Amino acid sequence: MTAPTRLRKLRWGVPIAATAAVAVVASGVLTAEADPPLPPKTAGQLLVDVQGASVKGLSGTVVQDSDLGLPDLPYAGTGGGGGAGLASLLTGSHTLRVWYAGEDKQRVALLDSLGETDVVRNGTDAWLWSSESNSATRFRVPAGGAGAKAADELPAGVTPQQAAETALRALDPTTSVSTDGTRQVAGRDAYELVLAPKDTRSLVGQVRLAVDAETSVPLRVQVFPKATGDGPAFSVGFTSVSFEVPGDEHFAFSPPPGVTVTEGTLPADPPGKADRAKAERAKAERAAGAARTVGSGWTTVAILPAPTGEPDGAAAAFLEQLPRVSGSWGSGRLLTSALMSALLTDDGRLLVGAVGPDLLYAAAGR
Amino acid sequence: MSAVETLPARPAPVSTRFLRSELGMVFRRRRNQVLLLVLAAIPVIIAVAIKVTTPTGTEADGGPPFLFSITGNGIFVALTSLTVVLPLFLPLAIAVVAGESVAGEASLGTLRYLLVVPVSRTRLLAVKYAGALVYCLVAALLVAAVGTVLGALLFPVGPVTLLSGSTVPYSTGLVRLLLVALYVAAMMAGLAAIGLFVSTLTESPIAAMATTAVLAVTSQVLDSVPQLDWLGPFLFSHYWLNFGDLLRDPVATEGPIRGLLVTAAYVLVFGSLAWSRMTTKDVSS
Repeated sequence: MTAPTRLRKLRWGVPIAATAAVAVVASGVLTAEADPPLPPKTAGQLLVDVQGASVKGLSGTVVQDSDLGLPDLPYAGTGGGGGAGLASLLTGSHTLRVWYAGEDKQRVALLDSLGETDVVRNGTDAWLWSSESNSATRFRVPAGGAGAKAADELPAGVTPQQAAETALRALDPTTSVSTDGTRQVAGRDAYELVLAPKDTRSLVGQVRLAVDAETSVPLRVQVFPKATGDGPAFSVGFTSVSFEVPGDEHFAFSPPPGVTVTEGTLPADPPGKADRAKAERAKAERAAGAARTVGSGWTTVAILPAPTGEPDGAAAAFLEQLPRVSGSWGSGRLLTSALMSALLTDDGRLLVGAVGPDLLYAAAGR
Repeated sequence: MSAVETLPARPAPVSTRFLRSELGMVFRRRRNQVLLLVLAAIPVIIAVAIKVTTPTGTEADGGPPFLFSITGNGIFVALTSLTVVLPLFLPLAIAVVAGESVAGEASLGTLRYLLVVPVSRTRLLAVKYAGALVYCLVAALLVAAVGTVLGALLFPVGPVTLLSGSTVPYSTGLVRLLLVALYVAAMMAGLAAIGLFVSTLTESPIAAMATTAVLAVTSQVLDSVPQLDWLGPFLFSHYWLNFGDLLRDPVATEGPIRGLLVTAAYVLVFGSLAWSRMTTKDVSS
């Protein structure tokens, strides 16, 4: 036991080596894979492939991160009927598991540490299950119709597919489209498609889509703000994915014994995307009287009538935190974040856009 | 600790005598028995309280997870209890056992006698850690077992509703519960390694226990501060609640595996730190 002091001191090298080994493994240097070699594709080809992508089925785990720099929202009602579980998607990091086996068999599970919110669509039945409130809601989806996706109950941007659709909708002459080599996402080879607004006044720096080389399904969508050089302000992507059609057992939901089942109602006339959009627009116009947009493309500013009625306690306190601004256009309160700005004017208008405050002021002054 | 018994022959490589004697010491110590009793009392308190009052409402209204499922199925007594003991009672018990391990011998002056017998310091440390590991396992399984038995006695048992809203037979539910208890025990192994290292630093077992317990609480406090969320993934307590993933349908493996890997990293780092300290320190008392 009386080893020379020098030798004994050497023993401290073991924990140092162990710590270093752990640090190396944790940093992912060893597991990081080189960008896969794939036959080159032009941005145009990729775009066509992404928009035409369809798979028979898939299942996997999706991680969504929002770092929008928003102040803590007192509450965020989505109207989806999912309660706190679904509204929480607007901030922070979330893990979802998804199963898809065609239009009429879908399941999305939002994982909470000791809870879960599930949206299951199976044929004409759609279920919303919340383990925390121990409740199930059943929706009847009309047979034969193109069918409202169960996933439509979730806020947009929950899955990489939805986020990609949203991004691609913005494609028009105001966007420059390019490719940026290849990536490994969820263990699969993927092309990286980069969409960047040509208008430099947009807060969005670029949107990067990782497109699966084999199936052309978007595996990851990242939105980078122009202002900061660090990571994406919003990202949603698979951490694991399989393109095998999942078995029927994943879509068979029967309410557990002892659970109260309520009957939910879908919007009166759900079928058909176009009809849906029209109905929504009509509804919005009815409610708004005069909702309109100023500008186009990435710098579009939406002008909506502010919610009427006195805000309740939490919302009022939240509004109080926002800085007051004023100008030739009037005065109001301003909310800014990495990707979007919002202006609530004192004369009851709400202006929202992925632009800096000056464009909102300009729009307000028109 | 009979030194004479181990002297005659070189101990066989797989001799368990040393380990058995250590286990005997851990589980015969009155303090450790009382801690196990306290842990076992939690499911009893929960089950009786629910039986007497029958709470109404849902988790969304507050209260620990699974609490409101107990009246429907007794197995949730065990799950509620595990969730309740996880933040404080269980780490406290582990901190006491692991903090005691080396420092306890040092304070009693028995450490140097232990080091006289032909057992290497490495082996001594391994046996001390093994003793703490067995205690982790026994503690977690005890809470689960008492909860299951009491739940079965006081409440109906039957098919179990998982977090995903699907229902599995009671037997499958018991298997899931066993997995949860094993996961919880494995999470405590990380804390035990930290406690073992702290225990080699001091000759005061109380200081070692307190430090370990404080570290366990500090880790959880840091994990709950939103401004420090970048730190979360590095904290050992960050993964404790991942056992929820074992109660989904199908089981989500990513979360628990991540928890086990991080715990393994903690065991490696603090185990090797403890080893360096143990094999280089001067034992004078």
